[in-house]
Amino acid sequence: MKTFSLLSNRAGALFLAPAAALIGVFVIIPFFWVIVVSFTNRTLLGSTALNPDFVGFQNYIALFNPLTFFSRGQFGFSLILTTQFVLLSALVGQALLGLILAWLSQTVSPKIKSFLQTAVIAAWILPEVVIGFAWFAFLDFDNGTLNMILRGLGLPPGDWLLQNPFWVIVVFNTWRGAAFSMMLFNSAFQSIPPSYFQAADVAGASSLQKLRDIALPLIKGHVVTDLILITMWTFNVFTPFLLTNGGPSYRTELLSIYTYRIAFKDFEFGKGAAVGVIIMLINLAFALVYLRMARKKPAEAD
Amino acid sequence: MARSVTTQRKLIFTIIGWSIGFLIFFPILWTFLTSFKTEGTAVATPPQFLFFDWTLENYHEVQSRSDYGKHVMNSIVISVGSTLLGLALAIPAAWAMAFSPTKRTKDILMWMLSTKMMPSVGVLVPLYLIFRDWGLLDSRLGLVAVLTMINLPIIVWMLYTYFKEIPGEILEAARMDGASLMKEIIYVLTPMAVPGIASTMLLNIILAWNEAFWTLNLTAANAAPLTAFIASYSSPEGLFWAKLSAASTMAIAPILIMGWFSQKQLVRGLTFGAVK
Repeated sequence: MKTFSLLSNRAGALFLAPAAALIGVFVIIPFFWVIVVSFTNRTLLGSTALNPDFVGFQNYIALFNPLTFFSRGQFGFSLILTTQFVLLSALVGQALLGLILAWLSQTVSPKIKSFLQTAVIAAWILPEVVIGFAWFAFLDFDNGTLNMILRGLGLPPGDWLLQNPFWVIVVFNTWRGAAFSMMLFNSAFQSIPPSYFQAADVAGASSLQKLRDIALPLIKGHVVTDLILITMWTFNVFTPFLLTNGGPSYRTELLSIYTYRIAFKDFEFGKGAAVGVIIMLINLAFALVYLRMARKKPAEAD
Repeated sequence: MARSVTTQRKLIFTIIGWSIGFLIFFPILWTFLTSFKTEGTAVATPPQFLFFDWTLENYHEVQSRSDYGKHVMNSIVISVGSTLLGLALAIPAAWAMAFSPTKRTKDILMWMLSTKMMPSVGVLVPLYLIFRDWGLLDSRLGLVAVLTMINLPIIVWMLYTYFKEIPGEILEAARMDGASLMKEIIYVLTPMAVPGIASTMLLNIILAWNEAFWTLNLTAANAAPLTAFIASYSSPEGLFWAKLSAASTMAIAPILIMGWFSQKQLVRGLTFGAVK
């Protein structure tokens, strides 16, 4: 197709400018602010709120202090926790559940397919505050629905939020975010010519064989896109805060929640900003990988 | 023989399909059901599934709290306001990128989208201070501004993918027939762009309506939308589950209705157009 132009380049730039400027301001100001503040001892209140001192790399050194690095409620602990959280809830949980759901959707009747999709999308688009409450009410020890069901069945109830808080947020995040993987894989599966599967059917292949030998190799690109994106989102996710508050005793304090606590509960802006800088660097690495992939396959980025 | 195996397999898949769907839907369904129970039945053992005395008492209670209406209004003002403002900024931008692309268009788009990958927590601290200094904390205006900026990249991106689908040939044909630029915009482009703008608007209203992180941190009593209201409601009154369920149901009803009508567009938007 011939490229044609409706607007002159100059008019186009003029049209583009306001939105680009606003996004730029919104990103660039906080970006530099965070970097500058991370080298100071700025706090929310007190004398260092207005006249913070330049402290060099002190905040960073404190974060990486080997004596406290791995103890609970410290940066290292949170970083490791977040890594485990991403591995289990995003890469294993969401991607796998999404894959199973999408594969199941190819076999079942359209009615079930749309029911599955509606359920998964509902879990995804509802406000996190409401979802947080619903899960809290579901898992509470005394009156939680899950324990009531267990008691009704004569099984011992469990204090899920207190004893297994980490697994609770893993399951929660899997549930909450499976939709993206499912929808992505769904559309990927549909892009495979049906004749491939028909040929496999004639040869007597099982569902698992078709998935492993035909479908997965063909949607490899989608799988990689999916994994990178959900890693990035899960890494920054804040929603578990509404379920566990980062506790009990820091056991569910992901990096985003850790930063939040340092900056807004302990009011140590300088230290919080230092964590923010590190998080941004990690994100930048993810984003670069993703953008590189997206550029390689322009069709998909469209 | 082969047929009976397939039928059996189909049946198994059907059962698995329904049960997984039901399991996923359960927490939401349960909140909905609880909102019609009395506080006593809400925590009864064994749990009452459907056969309890349905009551609207909780809805009356929530409705009668005078401040509930205020939070609904806040939600509407903030979500609709930020969406309209965002569209006003984004439509020209997306228009320019879709219809007069330059070498850098793709890079600008990618850059815009990549700002969505910045961690909110990192942006929160400086923004909080700016808001405090400018007296924007706990004001609707401030929230409209923040949500506009946060969602602007998505709006631009969404509109771009829709505008891009408008075939250029149509415009060339219109030009051949002697249409002026103005006529082209009014009679050819606008009708073709409206569906895309509408679904972008819907998606963004939902996103803004759901927003909790920013609203929780930048508002207190005055400008708090429904999400912040429910969050504040849940700690002191955590034991009144039926009432909280009713409040939650009222907060999510608009989302569910809008989502129901626009499932496909929603998916497209939430996946940044990766799924069409």
